[in-house]
Amino acid sequence: MSESTSKPVLSIQDLVVEFKTEAGLIRALDGVSFDVQEGEALGIVGESGCGKSVTALSILKLIPSPPGRIAGGSIKLDDIDVVNQPDDEMRKVRGSLASMIFQEPMTALNPVFTIGNQMVEIIRVHQKVSKAEAKRQAIEMLRTVNIESPEQRIDQYPHELSGGMRQRVMIAMALSCSPKLLIADEPTTALDVTVQAQVMEEINRLQREMNMGLILITHDLGVIAESCTRVVVMYCGKIIEMAETEELFRNPRHPYTRGLLDSIPRIREKKLETLPIIEGMVPDLANLPKGCRFADRCPKAEDHCRESEPPLEDTESGGKVACFIPN
Amino acid sequence: MELPLVQVKNLKTHYPIKGGLLNRPIGAVKAVNGVSLDIQAGQTFGLVGESGCGKSTFGRSILRLQHVTAGEVQINGKDILGLDRQELVKARADMQIIFQDPYGSLNPRMTIRQIVREPLDTHKVGEKADRDAEVMRLLEICGLRRSVADRYPHEFSGGQRQRIGIARALALKPKFIVADEPVSALDVSVQSQVLNLISHLQKEFGISFLFISHDLAVVQHISHEVGVMYFGELVERAPAEELYAAPKHPYTQALLKAIPQPDPGREKEQVPLTGDIPSHNDPPKGCPFQPRCPVAKPECAESKPPLKPVDVEETPSKHLVACWLY
Amino acid sequence: MSEENISTGRDSLWSKSRRKLMRDRAGVAAMIVVGVYGLIAILVYLGLIGENWSTLGEEGFGGMSSEHWFGTNINGQDIFSRAIQGIKTAFEVGLVVAVTATAIGGILGAIAGYFHRTIIDEVIMWLYGCIDAIPFYLFVAAVAFSLKGTELQPWGMHIAMIATFWSSTCRIVRGEVIKIRGLEYIQAAKAVGVGPLTIVRRHVMPNTTHILLVQSTIAFVGAIKSEVILTFLGLGVVDGVSWGTMLSESTSDVLRGHFGNFLGASGFLFVLVIAFNMFADALQDALDPKKVSS
Repeated sequence: MSESTSKPVLSIQDLVVEFKTEAGLIRALDGVSFDVQEGEALGIVGESGCGKSVTALSILKLIPSPPGRIAGGSIKLDDIDVVNQPDDEMRKVRGSLASMIFQEPMTALNPVFTIGNQMVEIIRVHQKVSKAEAKRQAIEMLRTVNIESPEQRIDQYPHELSGGMRQRVMIAMALSCSPKLLIADEPTTALDVTVQAQVMEEINRLQREMNMGLILITHDLGVIAESCTRVVVMYCGKIIEMAETEELFRNPRHPYTRGLLDSIPRIREKKLETLPIIEGMVPDLANLPKGCRFADRCPKAEDHCRESEPPLEDTESGGKVACFIPN
Repeated sequence: MELPLVQVKNLKTHYPIKGGLLNRPIGAVKAVNGVSLDIQAGQTFGLVGESGCGKSTFGRSILRLQHVTAGEVQINGKDILGLDRQELVKARADMQIIFQDPYGSLNPRMTIRQIVREPLDTHKVGEKADRDAEVMRLLEICGLRRSVADRYPHEFSGGQRQRIGIARALALKPKFIVADEPVSALDVSVQSQVLNLISHLQKEFGISFLFISHDLAVVQHISHEVGVMYFGELVERAPAEELYAAPKHPYTQALLKAIPQPDPGREKEQVPLTGDIPSHNDPPKGCPFQPRCPVAKPECAESKPPLKPVDVEETPSKHLVACWLY
Repeated sequence: MSEENISTGRDSLWSKSRRKLMRDRAGVAAMIVVGVYGLIAILVYLGLIGENWSTLGEEGFGGMSSEHWFGTNINGQDIFSRAIQGIKTAFEVGLVVAVTATAIGGILGAIAGYFHRTIIDEVIMWLYGCIDAIPFYLFVAAVAFSLKGTELQPWGMHIAMIATFWSSTCRIVRGEVIKIRGLEYIQAAKAVGVGPLTIVRRHVMPNTTHILLVQSTIAFVGAIKSEVILTFLGLGVVDGVSWGTMLSESTSDVLRGHFGNFLGASGFLFVLVIAFNMFADALQDALDPKKVSS
């Protein structure tokens, strides 16, 4: 992608987020920087505890505080300085400039209101329109996400819809004010494979049509391969690799990325005796090793990997990697 | 041919739907509606399907952790559904279960030692003093250090908890284990570790597994035979290689196509299916898959296709499918 | 946060809860206050202090002095001694009611929950439904009157409170047990062949004890407050002295401008109730397994 022609909708610099826990102060994010261009689909991948969801919440300033706090760095959302934005100003930003969809649509929807009620409310927070007009827009949105007979659906309650349908409603709600950035946090993890494919297709289509920036957060590299142009790989609160999707899958530079790619369950021509694995497990954020955070699990680690932490540096192929001995 | 270790015939588990003024049964959720399968000793049967298809209910039903409506279950020569309470307790030593949720499956107030010892204590295996040594041995088999024994579940990560659950299931040296989505709550890098452990255990101890999963890709490496369930019934069943190489049922094909492939260059598949799993309140007529099926014919809505061998020439064929196309 | 690996050493949920409680400053302060009350109650019970509460003095309404810290009442009795006798009475009632009511509620709740959707559950639910439908003070008055003149008369108040206080514990425990019953570790125990009674004892009950602890503190405070009110109304403590007795005496005292009884009794009651409520809150926070295990 050419960085000169489009300007970033989101620009994160050296973001540090800290949480107070019983085990002491931990850094859920430790110096994270990346941009999302207009109309770009960026994937963030990593395992639980790597900080991918914290990143998403930080962008909308939704970090529960206490115990969490943005301790440093900056987040620029279309020229708005999120970190220093007062809360009531942020409320206007959420939904209109950037919105978010979550993993579990059932808990993100209020069970005692019809979906129409909830959509109208959101539209009227951000636009000065009549109820009737808001309802018309809501029906239009439901039609956009390919919900059949939206005129009837709009008067139903969340529990009357199937999981896939609910996630479509969430998407419709998130997009009802045409945001410039959509953050999707594991949007299909709770769904069945056949439904997952339908929902991802929907997200991709709308992203292209509305020329939005998209941040797709997932643990599933398969989903990323099919939907994103660029990928950020996170591990223990840090970005360890960042590259164009094709480049990353063809030529992963960081040993962790390699390991992740190898351990994805996939249909293979020939049955394997043992599946490739990454040894060990993610270290405790309250008790991180000195040096590279992946060193203990890394098949290539050398002594100096355990001494100092590798910085995130440019690679010759245009990406970035944080490793002393990249592939 | 050797007699299979596990034989299930026409198993049905229905739940009543109550309603109306007097809360009378007005219908039934046919969670499992006539499933038959058998598993040879030392082999793994992969049972795949989407949420609500009845695969977990099936797994629990054959272990009698669930009330069964009708059918026949033979495990290791015992008629499981016909056992009285004491015989059932004895028979439990031969059949165990591993659960999906690594957080809900361990009692938070018990130490790992107590958890893994419980089966040994319940069945009074060996001398009391020897049981601790056995616990240590089980933990080591499952790749856990001995020092974990006196800790509590909340101190462990998901993968480790799953290993503890496996150690508990192994304690009575069972011949058959139901693994109910054992890796779907785990991170990818840990999933393969647990899958490798399970296939290692199978080879080492010759245990038969019923491996339940929603993911065909997870099941492939571990299964000898694979069955696909839809709406309470088996729609296809075949030896693993054959199922992946030549899936017959349109639903199996769609499931395989829907798995997101970590290959960005690949030509993107069309979204294979539309719509959702049917509702038990209003089950479709004929083939349960017919409303979503891309190749459905008018007769599919009229009667339900039976599960029968696809290839009549090869006798006896092990590839069964329930579809009017074949 | 969902970080999986934050573990801090080898400890049970109980010791984790204890550490959490100890870090809660307000909770610890409240616990100390309650502890001091408890200590006084024990000393009074052993007859080491405050035993001159019924000794009549020469003149009524004596002011504060080194001999009578809170002054004396109309009969010249030492108000301070009577107030700390009131602590003993309050703790006696509180403990008896809290322990018995929580035990009954816990057991019935566990049974109802474990046999959810059977006739046993229905009967227990119907029982607490009935109890809850009767206004509390009306019920206590009815029990107290019906026991008047019988041997059980001094226990009338206790019985009435126990008969009503168990229902809230029962309801909460029942709900929790229904939840626990569906958890996979119960299934795992069944799969191993553990019998139903052992499952209740080993897997269900220990996971409800945190509720019982919190509920018993709530019942304790409730019982003390009710005891004072009932005694004030003449339905409670008959022999011995309670803050209720003192408050009922003070109604005429206050009109004459003597506040000793009133301030003594309500002051002691106020501090105890506040401290106990704070302690109960802290306990609830510390014991909540969802918060502890995260």
